[in-house]
Amino acid sequence: MTVIAVISPKGGVGKTTVSVNLACALAARGHAVRIVDMDPQNAMRLHLGAAPGDTNGLIHQTLQQVSWHYAEYDSAYGVSFIPYGKASEVERITFEAHLAHTPNWLRDNLAALTDELTLIDTPPGPSVYVQQVLSIANLVLVVMIPDAGSYATLDSIESLLAYYCGDRSDFYGSYYVLNQFDGDRPLNRDIQYVMQSSLGDRLAPCPIHRDESLSEALAYQQPVLQYAPHSQAAEDLQQVSDWLQERVADE
Amino acid sequence: MNNLRVAPPMEYAGAERHSNDRQPDRYKFGRVNRYATALLDWHGWEHRYWRIAAMLATFGLFWLSMTLPLSLHWQVVYGIVVFAMSLYIRRYTGTMFTIMMIVFSINQSSRYLYWRFTETLDLNSWTDGVFGVILLLAETYAWIVLILGYVQTIWPLKRKPEPMPVDLALWPTVDILIPTYNEDLKVVRPTVLAALAIDWPREKLTICILDDGRRDEFREFAHSVGVTYLARDNNLHAKAGNINAALAKTSGEFVAIFDCDHIPARSFLQMTIGWFLRDPKMGMLQTPHHFLSPDPFERNLGTFRRVPNEGELFYGLIQDGNDLWNATFFCGSCAVLRRSILMEVGGVAVETVTEDAHTALKMHRRGYNTAYISVPQAAGLATESLSRHVGQRIRWARGMAQIFRLDNPLLGKGLNVMQRLCYSNAMLHFFYGLPRMVFLLAPLSYLFFEARIIHASAVAIAAYALPHLAHANVTNSRIQGAHRHSFWAELYEATLAWYIFRPTLVALFNPKLGKFNVTAKGGLVEKNFLDWEIGAPYLIMLALNVAGLLIGIARLFWWNTFEADTVVLNLLWTIYNLIILGATIAVATETRQVRVNHRVNCNQKATLKLAGGRSVVCRANDYSEGGLGLQMPAADMAPLNSQVRISLFMGDREYVFPARVISLRDTFVGVEFEGLDLQQQMNLVQCTLARADAWLDWSEHREVDHPLTGLKEIMFHSLKGYQHLGYYVQKRVREHFRGDTEDKKTDPFYREISKKLADRTLRGALLHKLSNFADTSRNFLFRSGRS
Repeated sequence: MTVIAVISPKGGVGKTTVSVNLACALAARGHAVRIVDMDPQNAMRLHLGAAPGDTNGLIHQTLQQVSWHYAEYDSAYGVSFIPYGKASEVERITFEAHLAHTPNWLRDNLAALTDELTLIDTPPGPSVYVQQVLSIANLVLVVMIPDAGSYATLDSIESLLAYYCGDRSDFYGSYYVLNQFDGDRPLNRDIQYVMQSSLGDRLAPCPIHRDESLSEALAYQQPVLQYAPHSQAAEDLQQVSDWLQERVADE
Repeated sequence: MNNLRVAPPMEYAGAERHSNDRQPDRYKFGRVNRYATALLDWHGWEHRYWRIAAMLATFGLFWLSMTLPLSLHWQVVYGIVVFAMSLYIRRYTGTMFTIMMIVFSINQSSRYLYWRFTETLDLNSWTDGVFGVILLLAETYAWIVLILGYVQTIWPLKRKPEPMPVDLALWPTVDILIPTYNEDLKVVRPTVLAALAIDWPREKLTICILDDGRRDEFREFAHSVGVTYLARDNNLHAKAGNINAALAKTSGEFVAIFDCDHIPARSFLQMTIGWFLRDPKMGMLQTPHHFLSPDPFERNLGTFRRVPNEGELFYGLIQDGNDLWNATFFCGSCAVLRRSILMEVGGVAVETVTEDAHTALKMHRRGYNTAYISVPQAAGLATESLSRHVGQRIRWARGMAQIFRLDNPLLGKGLNVMQRLCYSNAMLHFFYGLPRMVFLLAPLSYLFFEARIIHASAVAIAAYALPHLAHANVTNSRIQGAHRHSFWAELYEATLAWYIFRPTLVALFNPKLGKFNVTAKGGLVEKNFLDWEIGAPYLIMLALNVAGLLIGIARLFWWNTFEADTVVLNLLWTIYNLIILGATIAVATETRQVRVNHRVNCNQKATLKLAGGRSVVCRANDYSEGGLGLQMPAADMAPLNSQVRISLFMGDREYVFPARVISLRDTFVGVEFEGLDLQQQMNLVQCTLARADAWLDWSEHREVDHPLTGLKEIMFHSLKGYQHLGYYVQKRVREHFRGDTEDKKTDPFYREISKKLADRTLRGALLHKLSNFADTSRNFLFRSGRS
C-alpha cells in the first residue's frame, strides 16, 4: 500500500480541496484510490457528496474498536473515502490520547484494509495525527500558499519531515505544491520563484491557481475536475496529479 | 577555407534535406547507397594522381557527351536514357545522388546550349539573326545562372548555433542598433520592447534607437523605456550613414542590427554570439528574415504559409548554401557584426544602395569569415503592397548591379574562387529582367514576323530542349522543393521582370545614378493609382501574346500549313507564357487589407479570468499588438464586453494582462488589451512575438513540392487571374454605360438603398448578386487607374 500524506504548515491553504481533487484525478488515471480524513474538521466528505447528517467516521470505529471497513464509503468519483466522523469534544480528547499511546494505530488499521493508493488528509501544523501519518507515509505532499508566512515555515517543515521520514527506507520523498496562486500578484510570483530555486524538482511543475470554481465546486459537493473541467484550477490539478503519479510510479 | 567549416556528413546532409518518412529504407540504406559510399571511401582518393586522373577523365567524358554529334533518333534515345537515370536515382536520399542529378542536369543543359550555338543560328537573314541572337543570349544567361545556382546550393551547411560559455564574465558587450527613418512609433515600439527582453546580461547590452527622422516622440519613448536615443543632423547615406554615425557613438564589441520592424526573439544573441567567440575571424553572422504578415504575392494569391514565398529560397537555401563556401552575405537586419572588423572595412558600405551585401563583400576581401544560422530569430512585416514590394526589389537589383560594376566580385583581391562564384550569382541573379521578358515574348517573333529564331525542326528542338528543361525542373525540385515550389520562380520573376531590368541596366552603365528608396512598412494598401502602373506591362505583354495566339491559329490552319510543327511549338510556348502572365495578373489584383495590426497565428496556452473569479484554460490562436484570439473549450463562457484578465505563460512564469471581450463566435473569443502599462507591454511582447520558439513551426502547413503540382498551382492562379480580368472588364463596361462610379458603390448609404431595391425584384436580386461579385473583386488593380 502506497500512502501519501498531505500536510500543511498553516490552516486555510486549501489542503483538503487539493487532496480530494488529486485523489479523484489519480482515480481517473486508473488507480484504486482511497482518501482518509484525519482532520477533526471532518470536511473532506463534503467534497465527495456525503450526506450532511451522517456522523460516522474513523473516530467512532476506533473508539468502538471495530474495523474501518464500516466507515469506508464509495463516492461517485472513483474514490473511496473514510471520514473523520462527527465527534464531541470528549470523544476527540479520548481519541487523541489513544493515538498518543498507540504509535502503530494507523499502520495496523490501514493494514486491515484492501491495498489501495491511500491519501491521508491531516490537520494543519504538528499534531498526533501528523505524527502517526508521517511515520508511515511513503510520500509527503506539502501544500503551501504563496505568501511570506508559508515560506517562513519551510525550514520547520523540513526538519519535521527529516525527523519522521528521513531515515525510513520505504520513504520516497517529500514534495511541495503551491495553492491559491494568483499570477497577477508580484509577491506570489516572487515566492514561486524562490521556492523553485530552493526546492528545485521537489516543487510541483505548476502552482494551483486561485479560482472561484473551486469554491463553487464545494458548494455543489463535487470535485472541481467534475464541476468545471476547463477551469484553470482543474487544469493545474491535472498537471500536478500527472506529476505525482510519476513520483509514485518511480518507486 | 579554414578548419572551422566542417562539411556535414553526407548521409546526414542529404537525408535531412530529402527526408521523407514514407520512403522505404532501401532508398536510404540500399545497395546503391552502399556502392556509392564504398566508392567515396576508396583509399585511392588519398593520392593526388588518382584524383587528377579521375578529374581529367570526368571532364573528357563530360565534354564528349556535350559535343558528340548525334542523329536525331540517337539524340532522342540519349535524352530518354539520361532522364530515366536521373529519375531512377531521384528516389534515393543523400547528397551524392543530388550531385549526380546536378551533373546530369548540367550535362543536358550544356548539350542543349552547345547545339544551339553550333547548329541553330542562322545569321543570313536579318530578322532571324537578330531575334535568334537575342534569344540565345538570354538562354546563355539562364544557363550560367542555372549552373551557378547549383554550385551555390549543392550542399547547404546547416550550421548549428554554438553554445555560449557558462561563465557570464566571458560574454561580450553588444550594441543593438535599431535604425528608423519615417516609420510609425507603433511599428518600432514592439521591436524595442522585444530587444529589451533579449536574454543577455543587462549591463553588457546597449539598445539604441537611431532616429533619422529626429522625432521628439521617439526621443521620449526611448527615454521612458530606458534605451539610448541617437540622432544626427543630416541624413547622408540613409540607413548605412545612420548606422555609421551610431557606430561612432557606441562601443560594444558586437553590433546587432535590426530593421525597426523586425522583432527579435529573446534568444537571438545567445543563438548567434557563440560562433564569434569560437572563431576570432568571424565578422558577421546572419539569421533569416522571417515575415509574420503575407507579402503581396501571398496575400493576393491566398497562399500565405502554404507555398514558400519569394524570399524563402534565399533564406532557406541560398544563404545556407553560401555558408558552405564562406560566402554568406549581410542582409541589413537580424544580423550580428563584430565591431573591430566592421570598422576595419570602414563601417557599413555607403557606395551602393545595397550597403549590406557590399559590407560583407568587403569583409570577405580582407579574409574574414561570415556565417549563417537558418533558424528564424526575428520576425517582421512583409511589404504591404505589390508596388512597394516592387520598389524594394528594384532597390536590391539596382544595388547589386552597382556592386557588380563598382566592386566586381570576379575581380579584385582577397576572394577565393567559390566566393567569387557565389557573389557573382547573387548579383547576376538580379539581371533576370531582360532575359525573362525575352522568353515571354520570344515566340511572337515567329508568330508575328515569321522569324525562325531557332533554326531547327520542331522535333529537333524538342529532342534537345525537353531533356534540358526536364532535368532542370526535376533537379531543382529536389534541391529547392522545401523552399520554392516548382514553376513559382517563373511567376516571381515574370512579375518583377519589367521593373527590374531598367534599373539594373542603368546601374550597370552608370552606377552613380539612382537613390536609396526606403521600403515603407506597417501601413495599409492605399496608393491605388500605383496598381495601374504596376499592372500595365503585364497587360501589354498579355495582349501581345493573345494576338500571337490568334495569329498562330491562323498560321496553323491557313497561312503556314507547310510548317505546322513549328507553329504548334510556338503556340505551346505562347500558351505557357499566357499561363504565367495570367498568374501575374492574379498577383496584381491587390486584396485590400482590413487590419492595421497583423494577426499572427500561434498556438499557446492561455487562461481567461472572468470578473467573478472563475478562470478558464484556453488556447491563444492568434495575436496582434492590440489583442488576442482565444479558442475556448466550450461556447458561451465569457460575456461580450466583460472585463477579463488574460494569463500568458513563458516557461513557468505567468503574466497577466487586463483585457475586454470584444467578439464572440462559437467557441472563439476575441479580446482587446486595455490599459497596459509599460512593463505589461514589454511582458506581452515577450510572451508572444519575442518567444524563442515563436517562429519555429512556420512551415508546418507546407505542401510538399512536386514539379507537376507546382505547374498545377500556377495554372490555378493563372485561371483566377483571368477570372479577375473578366470581372473587371465586365464591370468597367457596365460602369461605362450606366455611369456608376466607384465612390457610390462603396458609400454605405448607396449600398443600403441598392440592397433594399434589390430585394424587391428578381432582376434586382440578380443585380445585387452581381454587385456583390463586383465587391469581392473590387480591389482589382485597374479601377484605381482613374483615381
